[in-house]
Amino acid sequence: MMKRLLYAAVIAIVAGACTKAPDSGAIFYTELRSVDKLVLASMTITKMATIDDIRLSEAKGIKQTADALLSKLKIGDRVAAYSYDTYLRAYIDMSELRPDDIRVDEATKCVTINLPAVRTEFAGREPGMREDHYRVTGLRSAVDARERADLKERMNTHLKQEVEEKDTFSAALMDRAKDKARRYFESLLAPAGYSAVVTFKNA
Amino acid sequence: MKIAITTIKLFKLLVAVAVVACIAFWGYRWHVSSDADNVKIHNATVREIKDMVKLCSMEIYDEVPVKGSAGTRHLVARMRLRGMVNFDIDKIDTDLSADTIRLVLPPEEIEVLESTDDNAYMVIDTWNDKFLGSDNFTTAEENAMKAKVRDNWLRRVYLNGTVAKARAEARQNLLTMLAGIMRKPVIVTDSVPRGAHYPKYR
Repeated sequence: MMKRLLYAAVIAIVAGACTKAPDSGAIFYTELRSVDKLVLASMTITKMATIDDIRLSEAKGIKQTADALLSKLKIGDRVAAYSYDTYLRAYIDMSELRPDDIRVDEATKCVTINLPAVRTEFAGREPGMREDHYRVTGLRSAVDARERADLKERMNTHLKQEVEEKDTFSAALMDRAKDKARRYFESLLAPAGYSAVVTFKNA
Repeated sequence: MKIAITTIKLFKLLVAVAVVACIAFWGYRWHVSSDADNVKIHNATVREIKDMVKLCSMEIYDEVPVKGSAGTRHLVARMRLRGMVNFDIDKIDTDLSADTIRLVLPPEEIEVLESTDDNAYMVIDTWNDKFLGSDNFTTAEENAMKAKVRDNWLRRVYLNGTVAKARAEARQNLLTMLAGIMRKPVIVTDSVPRGAHYPKYR
């Protein structure tokens, strides 16, 4: 009887050591924000990254050359390409619109609207990733969930830097948003017999 | 003499074991470490620019656990979501020339995206119930888990009244905006206060 209990205890300890339990210490939060935004344009930006061994011809410095040489010795290939979409949007915060921002000239039937500044923000990114290419052969390790998460994080950081450094992204979006706002308010006032002059405050 | 020969043999054996151990360790390090460094991030490309007129009345920031299994393999991760409750007001069907403007609040469009904040998606753990079994998940399997989390999240915001709150606020925002610009009485009615897609999630 004692022997059986001892065996059971040993098996339980070994089994416990071989399986991992999920971390339940993570803290999750929820936040609701009431907003009054008029979204006027959205830009879909695609970011792509590739995982591939460094080639000897492309290697720079001792470390990369050593890596390229080691890669040559490895059995199999490890090439993958991933991409995902991020959304940048342009909006005006309508809670900043004051009554004196709207002037009506009944004589000329013209309404002048001085809209709040057009701003841009990242709406978010697609939760999933596209696997555009995947070729892992021989004795090479598969691209796992952790590596993909790290890759997405690096791509996200790179994208935010790009958008911050290059004005072309937000400038193109803001132009489109301003144009849309003008057309929208013109079409809104036209049935009532008014023309619209739309201007924007500076950010 | 015999003791000396035995000592030499033992020494050779120890050296051989040490060499094999070094090669094995070096091989393992080489196999594991250098794979992660071979990443090339390409410049971003603009795929589409769309114009629209959407009223966004609520933004929801949420951090949700992603838990899923495929056979004996399991994954636990943490994802930060950003939900936006929007209303397409570009083509509202109403008579804007009437003395009193009457319109119906359009159906809500809920965008659920992963946040672009740092570390918005983190894999906490992956494991296999089988001893020495692979804990690897394919991209398709992981995407399916995230899609399921997204659906559950949508169900939750409908059932806990968040969408109803967003609709009530959108109604008020639309009324204020149109009354201010049109300088006429505006009546905004809401035929589905709990949400246009509420029956689907009930």
